[in-house]
Amino acid sequence: MTREPRAVVLKGIRKRFGDVTAVADVDLEIRPGELMVLVGPSGCGKSTLLRLIAGLEERDAGEVWIGDRCVDDVAPGGRDVAMVFQSYALYPHMTVAGNLGFGLRVRGADTAATEARVNEVAGVLGLRGLLSRRPGQLSGGQQQRVALGRAMVRDPGVFLFDEPLSNLDAALRLQTRDEIAALHRRLGTTMIFVTHDQVEALSLGQRVAVMDHGRVQQVGTPHEVYRRPANLFVAGFVGSPPMNRLPVVRDREGRLAGGPFVFPGASPHREATLGVRPEDLALAVVAPPDPGSNPDFTATALRVESLGSEQRIHLDGPGDAAWVARAPSALHVTAGDRVAVSVAWERTHLFGADGGRIGAASRPVRGSRP
Amino acid sequence: MIPLVAAGAVAAATALILAVAADAPSGAREHRNREEARAAAALYELPGVAEADVVALLDGRARIVAPEAGGFGPGVHAYRAGALEPAAWIAVEPRGEGRSWPWAASLFALLGALGMAAWAGAQRLAPPRPRFPAAPALFCAVVFALVAVAAQQWARGELEAISASRLTGGLRAAEIAGASGADSEAAARVAGLPWASGAALDEPDRIWTMPREVGEAIAADARLRTAPRYTVAAGGAAYHGGSIVLPPDRPVRAGSPDDTLHLVFLGYEETASPAVALMASALGSALLVSLVLFLLPLAARPRALSRTLAAWAFLTPAAALLVVFTFGPLLFSLWISLHHWSLIDPAHPFAGLENYRALLSDGAWWSAVGNTAVFTLHVPLAMAVALSLALLTRESRRAVRWARLALFLPSITSVVAIAVVWKWLLNDGYGLANRALGAIGLGPVAWLSSPDVALVSLMVIGVWMVVGYQMVVFQAGLAAIPRVWYDAARVDGAGPWQRFRHVTLPGLRHTLFFVLVTSVIGSFQVFGLVYVMTEGGPLGATDVAVYHIYREAWEFLRFGNAAAMSWVLFGVVFAATWLHFRFLERRSAHA
Repeated sequence: MTREPRAVVLKGIRKRFGDVTAVADVDLEIRPGELMVLVGPSGCGKSTLLRLIAGLEERDAGEVWIGDRCVDDVAPGGRDVAMVFQSYALYPHMTVAGNLGFGLRVRGADTAATEARVNEVAGVLGLRGLLSRRPGQLSGGQQQRVALGRAMVRDPGVFLFDEPLSNLDAALRLQTRDEIAALHRRLGTTMIFVTHDQVEALSLGQRVAVMDHGRVQQVGTPHEVYRRPANLFVAGFVGSPPMNRLPVVRDREGRLAGGPFVFPGASPHREATLGVRPEDLALAVVAPPDPGSNPDFTATALRVESLGSEQRIHLDGPGDAAWVARAPSALHVTAGDRVAVSVAWERTHLFGADGGRIGAASRPVRGSRP
Repeated sequence: MIPLVAAGAVAAATALILAVAADAPSGAREHRNREEARAAAALYELPGVAEADVVALLDGRARIVAPEAGGFGPGVHAYRAGALEPAAWIAVEPRGEGRSWPWAASLFALLGALGMAAWAGAQRLAPPRPRFPAAPALFCAVVFALVAVAAQQWARGELEAISASRLTGGLRAAEIAGASGADSEAAARVAGLPWASGAALDEPDRIWTMPREVGEAIAADARLRTAPRYTVAAGGAAYHGGSIVLPPDRPVRAGSPDDTLHLVFLGYEETASPAVALMASALGSALLVSLVLFLLPLAARPRALSRTLAAWAFLTPAAALLVVFTFGPLLFSLWISLHHWSLIDPAHPFAGLENYRALLSDGAWWSAVGNTAVFTLHVPLAMAVALSLALLTRESRRAVRWARLALFLPSITSVVAIAVVWKWLLNDGYGLANRALGAIGLGPVAWLSSPDVALVSLMVIGVWMVVGYQMVVFQAGLAAIPRVWYDAARVDGAGPWQRFRHVTLPGLRHTLFFVLVTSVIGSFQVFGLVYVMTEGGPLGATDVAVYHIYREAWEFLRFGNAAAMSWVLFGVVFAATWLHFRFLERRSAHA
């Protein structure tokens, strides 16, 4: 794969279906050789955006640049992209070899060259023994590889993946995810990967673009998106279980307060939301009280989910909404226990009324006492 | 319980076979009695015949009464020359002959019943396993076959006796007629059968109602001139013949070469041969008993039994309709195709494959087959048009919906209505088509009256008729092709033609095959258009197979030939369909 990887640049892309705005003024730059993941809930416009890049949808406004040319008036076949579809879209009447070679044949490549290239790709993907089968005779995972191979055969500048793993079972999904990552390292090609699964997005992407309501909410490395979510939506969407929230409002003295917490210093914001990731809560069972501890609040464990390596403890506080904490499985907590909770304040988030992140919350001046 | 049911089933089955056997000659008896009455009336109508002669003819079984009196037994009205009102009612008392009994068949039936009883007894000792008892079923089938064969032999003997007795009666009637001075034609008529001739039997036109095979066998028989009574076996039946010398003082008809009256009487083929009915009843009996034997083991499990019975009860109406209206006529036409079969001739002698052999050298038939094949060429054309229309009318705009409706209309319109309208449109003199041509300065075309153009005209109308239906089927097929295949092909760089070639066509493969096969079959069966528009003309240019068969049967009354043609056509259609299957399966295996 001697190809120079290509950049993909989207400038002010807009797409409407009737009254529904699927993609609203998206600007996004995907660097050459990068694996960019578009992630978001269903209906957020991520697949439409991918299809706009591929040229399968007509844009209403904006420009799509692939490499150093604007491809707005270029047919999908001429954009130097290859796409892997969720349903694989294999042609059932062709053999595996026929499917793999289709893209070359319709471009008029000669038979010998096509065959050689198909063999090469089949070797990479471990499909050599299946070349004369038909898609209907393959397992889901094998079909997925064929779909991948069909994209690879043409050696495109950009790979587009439209939720290619969602039809696979859990074990196969993990394995295929690793293979796609390995493939990316090996080929070094630009890849754009659409998924609704934030775990998939974080584990696979070099950078992640979180989308909602047709807009890109945040672009960044998985670490940035997770650790410094740009807004409440990203904070809630990325991470499992989702970030705990507590509404806070400005009190008479100009300080933000909510639940048991009063944060020092005057705040320009009238109201805000405190966000704390479940793993940033440290738990201790209240009785007998640990003399050295100084918990930020106490709560009652409503339910304990044991996941083996860790446990998730559902708490009835600190505010009206329940919080979830992640705790090591060694901690002995049962439903109904009172627990003392300490918050890693340097890793918390405050979001303004518009949802945007203000910064980390500082340690409150007053917390509830056990 | 179980032995009782099994024995009952066997008894019912054998009774069925014996009843069929006993019934076989009764039709022939009835027919003979009617003939006797007719012969008596014909004799009565001859001038110079005394009433005593009529009574004597039937050994005193005839009674001559006033026309309105009616009477016992079969009878007919007799007319005097020149009168419109009947002169007398001649009633004939049926022959009180002692009927024989199919002893051999009964003996076999008894043995079978004993065997079944023994089996049932054995079952009582060892309880039945819930599976089909093959050995008893086979035993029953063999017994019923023996019963059927024995019963058929018996019925055949009965029929021959009746047939022979008819000859005796006929010869006597002819003798009496001759004695009263009737000519040989009149004597033959009195003898009551068309197969009597005052002339030599080797004159083909005098034996026209007789199956050619029988006539030729009789004419070739040396005993014809010498023996007063003889029997000729032909076509699987025995035909009785005899001759009498008419008295020399009769008024001789001009041109009659011979004063001998030959009479030939139908063999028992005139009633349906008992073999078929008996074989059918034996088969039915075997099925019946198999059914009982199959159900018996289930009797131990009432729920399984009731479920099975319920399933069969639901199947029965559909199966009965299929048997009566589809498979029955199908097999009957096969039967007819193996016989010389005319609608007006009661005799249907067996012909073997002769009808089929005759077809091989029948130029008109092959010309009709050729026309049908040419007509069928409209199918691929129609499919191409229909597919184009389906692709054009893919989106669902209002105008498109109306266009679709308009295109589909011919499919729900009566063929006759379509044919009549087109016949007017394509009329040579005042048809709209020629008017339109004339308006733009082109000469008239003999759409339906030129042998070169007529079939093409029909093909064009054929395309117009089927295109709407095919288009709707194609639309359904197109809708079933996943859009993502087109997306994948576009990303792969396939242009519109390549997408059509590699995505649309393969995706429509089964639809295309369905439309092709059904349309080809429909095209082979084209009839209404030809019947209404051209009647096969001009000069046989549009004589298609089904129309040819129709004419062979209902105009020329050669049902045997027509049935053979039907089966040849069936074979051709079947072969064509099979080839389609083979060809397309191979194609799809290597695509």
